[in-house]
Amino acid sequence: MSIMSYNGAAIMAMRGKDCVAIAADRRFGVQAQTVSMDFQKIFEIGPTLYVGLPGLATDVQTIAQKLKFRTNLYELRENRKMKPKTFLSVVSNLLYERRFGPYFVEPVVAGLDPNTSEPFIASLDLIGCPMITEDFVVSGTCSEQMYGMCESLWEPDMSPDDLFETISQALLNAVDRDAVSGWGAIVHIIEKDKVTTKTLKARMD
Amino acid sequence: MKTLGHMINSRFGSHLFDLLSSCRKNFHILSKQPKISVNIGQMDTVEEYQHGGPKQAYFNPYAFNGGTVLAVAGEDFSVVASDTRLSEGFSIFTRDNPKTYNLTSNTVLGCTGFHGDALTLTKVLEARLKMYEHEHHKPMSTKAIAAMLSTILYYKRFFPYYVNNILGGLDEEGKGCVYSFDPVGSYERESFRAGGTASSMLQPLLDNQIGFKNQIGVDQTPLTKEKAIFLVKDVFTSAAERDIYTGDQLIINVITKDGTRTEYFPLRRD
Amino acid sequence: MECLIGIKGKDFVIVASDTISARSIVSMKQDHDKMFKLSDKIVMACSGESGDTVQFAEYISKNIQLYKMRNGYELSPRAAANFTRRNLAEYLRSRTPYQVNMLIGGYDETDGPSLFYMDYLAALIEAPFAAHGYGSFFVLSLLDRYYRDDVTQEGAIKLLHQCIDEVQKRFIVNLPTFKVRCINKDGITDLPDLRAGKQ
Repeated sequence: MSIMSYNGAAIMAMRGKDCVAIAADRRFGVQAQTVSMDFQKIFEIGPTLYVGLPGLATDVQTIAQKLKFRTNLYELRENRKMKPKTFLSVVSNLLYERRFGPYFVEPVVAGLDPNTSEPFIASLDLIGCPMITEDFVVSGTCSEQMYGMCESLWEPDMSPDDLFETISQALLNAVDRDAVSGWGAIVHIIEKDKVTTKTLKARMD
Repeated sequence: MKTLGHMINSRFGSHLFDLLSSCRKNFHILSKQPKISVNIGQMDTVEEYQHGGPKQAYFNPYAFNGGTVLAVAGEDFSVVASDTRLSEGFSIFTRDNPKTYNLTSNTVLGCTGFHGDALTLTKVLEARLKMYEHEHHKPMSTKAIAAMLSTILYYKRFFPYYVNNILGGLDEEGKGCVYSFDPVGSYERESFRAGGTASSMLQPLLDNQIGFKNQIGVDQTPLTKEKAIFLVKDVFTSAAERDIYTGDQLIINVITKDGTRTEYFPLRRD
Repeated sequence: MECLIGIKGKDFVIVASDTISARSIVSMKQDHDKMFKLSDKIVMACSGESGDTVQFAEYISKNIQLYKMRNGYELSPRAAANFTRRNLAEYLRSRTPYQVNMLIGGYDETDGPSLFYMDYLAALIEAPFAAHGYGSFFVLSLLDRYYRDDVTQEGAIKLLHQCIDEVQKRFIVNLPTFKVRCINKDGITDLPDLRAGKQ
């Protein structure tokens, strides 16, 4: 039993036209036992910057708090909002500090540049190797299923509404073929001056 | 007086010895020790030869050759498709090895996993089908082939054929049918199923697009042959993007009452 | 083997724990209280490695009391839970991690009652009901079926009794008595021990 699938999680992010979306399931379980169906895995870092943390739940919470601390410190010191790309480096640095005893999370970053509003999505592995993509990123226990869904459903330059429908379908159908993720889902659609958050009704088995 | 060492030796001595000698044996298997030279005074160097210990050779009866198969059943047709890449590890053996086998005029088997077992299994199946035809003067029905395949697989329950089978065809009423199997013969009839290395990428999409899962208020029109073929091409193209064991070419067998028609479609070759 | 159960209502939260203290297959004590008072309105029930539970719970409890003395006000249940989580998470990656699972029940003047579930890995979850140990496999399904968020204290006790009966009936390990505490606006009250069978 892998430590990465001890609690179960599925997170993905997609790029649209002048918008990005990030979605996650809501299950917290201990191996096969589901304990909670409203577990937070996506965290707000700035007004248009979000991070999704799939992996070991304790590290999800620890990393979320450490990232909040580091971004707060940056914004206090620099007196400006952090760019998604900078934030990616912060995450990467935080994870690589524990290169030989890692935090068991593989984060997904999604956001818009605070100055140019350029969409940005990226993911990292558990020791902080970053990967920036132009289409979509997936991470979690059902990454193969998510890749299959995203690869077929995603297309360039989707509107926020289309992006919402696409990411929702991609996530829901992927988690339905995974035993340790699902039990509800949450989607954030990030636009220039609006973030829409929707919780999805899903299969509860 | 007996010392503690003696007591331990007398009580556990033999076990300890076993343990030590087995450790030494293992050590020798793990690392080949070089000949040790011993210099004795002014004499010439005498080579001391050490016995390397017993060596064990392993034979792995299985290999894994990858590949993906997919079968979809419609009202009066079935589609059985596979990619044509045959590989192992990071090498590609051939780009032209379909993993679908036409068993009768209205049954096609998709078979991935260990190619050696796939060949053996299909050979056994062909022989059994020929025997059936000689005996009964008619080809075997898809349903019967499925039941027979299950028993053939289960007969090797403790040295299994390392294969994922998906059977597509028409049933006795002329309706499309798909049977999926595990390597030891557990099987069920379904309306669509993906198998092999990219099955986890294909299956959720099929659930969504053919099974209309997570779609509410959508008119669930019955699957047409054209839509099925279009979907098969689409999902394989997606799978070839991400799965290194899937690619090169797609072979699509469309089974209708008029027989089996074969169609090819190019996939990524990298 | 141990079992902790927590149920939250509109204006109270109930925490229950079994009373068996066991070493290996031997039951050493039948009236062991596994709950610790963190403050006037926060209770923590602990299970896990026997030395660790007491050591960790007392460390947390005393630090929370120290916080009150230094600052003149108490930590809220949420703050106490997060303080506990942080400590446990830091110990998790030290050479001496504590193997402690816990339920934290508390009452806050503004937030009302709250119940927190935390495992030995320091994953913290707020829940309307929660359970730890093998008993949770039986208890959670019962609570999923019968829990309502407007449950009264009497209803919660009845529900708890059902859970204990189920554990006694289906779980091979004997956990006949449960210590029960209720936390509400008036503080912590010890309720009579619940025994399986007797209603």
